[in-house]
Amino acid sequence: MNLRMKLLVVPCAALSFAGGVALATSPEPKPEPLPKHVLPASKDGNLVLGLCDGETSMEVPGVKDGQKLSRAQAITATAQLMDDWRKKNPDANWDDVPGPVLAQATPPATKKSPSPAPQPNPGSKPSGNEVRPGGVGAETGAKAVPQQQKVNLQTGHTYGAYSERDEQVWADSVQAAVKEGHRVFHDAEALGGTVGVSCDMCHPDGANTHPETYPKYQVQLGRVALLRDMINWCIENPVRGKPLADGDPKMRAMEAYIYAQRKGVKLEYGKH
Amino acid sequence: MRLPSGVVTVLAVVLNSGVGLAASPPTPQATATPPRLPPGVSATLWRLAVPKGSEPTPERVALGEKLFREKRLSVDNTVACMTCHEPELGFTDGKPLSEGVKQQKVTRNSPTVLNALFNATQFWDGRAGTLEDQAKLPILNPREMGMPDPDTVVKKVRGIPEYVTDFQKVFGREPNFDDLAVAIAAFERMQFSGDARFDKFIMGDAKALTASEKNGWALFNGKARCNSCHAGNAVSPLFSDQKFHNVGVAAHKQDFVTLARKGVQVVRTGDEKQIDELALNSEFSELGRFLVTKQENDVGSFKTPTLRNVGITGPYMHDGSLTTLWDVMDHYNKGGVANPFLDGGMQRLGLTEPEIDDLVAFLFTLTDTKFDKLNKEQLAKQRARKNTRPERDNAIALGKKGNLGDLAPNPDLSVKNPADLGIYGDVTPVTTTQQR
Repeated sequence: MNLRMKLLVVPCAALSFAGGVALATSPEPKPEPLPKHVLPASKDGNLVLGLCDGETSMEVPGVKDGQKLSRAQAITATAQLMDDWRKKNPDANWDDVPGPVLAQATPPATKKSPSPAPQPNPGSKPSGNEVRPGGVGAETGAKAVPQQQKVNLQTGHTYGAYSERDEQVWADSVQAAVKEGHRVFHDAEALGGTVGVSCDMCHPDGANTHPETYPKYQVQLGRVALLRDMINWCIENPVRGKPLADGDPKMRAMEAYIYAQRKGVKLEYGKH
Repeated sequence: MRLPSGVVTVLAVVLNSGVGLAASPPTPQATATPPRLPPGVSATLWRLAVPKGSEPTPERVALGEKLFREKRLSVDNTVACMTCHEPELGFTDGKPLSEGVKQQKVTRNSPTVLNALFNATQFWDGRAGTLEDQAKLPILNPREMGMPDPDTVVKKVRGIPEYVTDFQKVFGREPNFDDLAVAIAAFERMQFSGDARFDKFIMGDAKALTASEKNGWALFNGKARCNSCHAGNAVSPLFSDQKFHNVGVAAHKQDFVTLARKGVQVVRTGDEKQIDELALNSEFSELGRFLVTKQENDVGSFKTPTLRNVGITGPYMHDGSLTTLWDVMDHYNKGGVANPFLDGGMQRLGLTEPEIDDLVAFLFTLTDTKFDKLNKEQLAKQRARKNTRPERDNAIALGKKGNLGDLAPNPDLSVKNPADLGIYGDVTPVTTTQQR
């Protein structure tokens, strides 16, 4: 394991503090161009895939550079990349399955044989919290609506006065954003990828995205990053697409999805 | 979109179910299933708004339409529901204030029936909770259809043989007032309306709107602050928060403060019946939601109407006092009309004349395409009045007079239309009857 990898997996609060100071003291905060993950060229002209760590890469035999992988090919290739990463980083915490309970699962016990990276589950539904029993959904309280409409729904003006119907509309609106994020996350095309790789291949169901740790110093980027910066890094590198604008609807939707997958997890900005 | 079939299937199911994520109970409940809805009409809202057991059936809808057009429901056989809610005119009458029996003017502008099924409450002051409750009241209003009481209505309907047969067929019993309201409400529940040019745009046809209309949409969500109350998204595409706001309309016709003071006194001492009469017949009608809630901060507030079909449903505001959408823009541009109960969200907007034109152009894209012809006529008619602007006060709007707050930021369209940025959300799915 080299230094950069250590920085990736070891808490580096000091570094991010230094980064913060550097940011605060520079008079003209003119962002330098982000570091690029330069992929080695293949001798045979094969397609080379890069891992999100910014240094691991692999050739995909039989696929020429410029060609797009089928989803099946992409899944196989990314699984191999992830296995490489896990071999290099046996100590790394892997947030296996999203959700507050499983997120705290102990890291793989043995150093020698890290378990294979979880496989993407192409048919999976966005696992959000949409069917949380007793939670708020479109149908929650729907039965009460006719009765409720007979009472005075609202007094006062805009703020602080809302009905159950409002809450249901809001809950559904949020779920619509999460759903759209789920779609983009699983769709290489929508991500603007040129090699057929999509987010879910390394992060099935949004696993191991740890959105609760942003903002944090991100080693690959050499700066304090927000979740969207890291999403863009992944879009540029493994996915090989063009970075999305901060306000791009796809970016907003993916943030919605990724955060929704970690509902209930404690916020821990800066954590590695 | 290249997706494995599994994902496609899941997405299709999710899309089809409309609410998708939120609505997948383990046991299939006998929830109401919406009919096929056009783009711009939300299945979620349909499920929220249509009470179980009140789903429109073809028989009820047919009878309801007949009753809706029935002048004999009025005391002198001159006024039907459709007199003020003319389907050809987007279910309004095009008049500032509607007229009932004996050419009596009522106190309010006729709101459209289109999408009324989605309203959280009915009437400008929200005093009815359901379409059924709503349907009964104009029949009994002395200024509208003028029937003295429900018994008289029922007696009259029972005296018309075809209705006796119809009610027997649909409800299995003699005509009664409740069933009559149920039938009319069923007809009204079929008057959902979407399918506007705006919906084409939001579904990805960038050419569906002109540059001016797109700028209007950006202003709507930005500088003009329309979305504070007229927020629309795919789940709730009405462009209405269904709340009640005092925007100062009632304040420009009379000494509103004195009226409000008197009204507060009457309401504190009056009984229910007296208050209902006030709402229907008196100058106190201008107190709006206050007569229903008796909360002082509801004085002069009225329901945020839907903006769907707004181009064809003028004149505007609860009293029809604003003739064109240009007038409406002028009203908001100067922060409404000051009064002690003005909604805190009202402030000057600083819109320039071209910006106002863009906003109006955008509003005309919210009309259902089936009213295209009427929409064009109305736009031409309103544009012809563009130089008659009784509400315009540029000094206040542009901040040369008074101090009505800072302006919201100007959208910078050269970067990207800010209104594109996921504000509206995913496109409302078209639902079929076979879902889940």
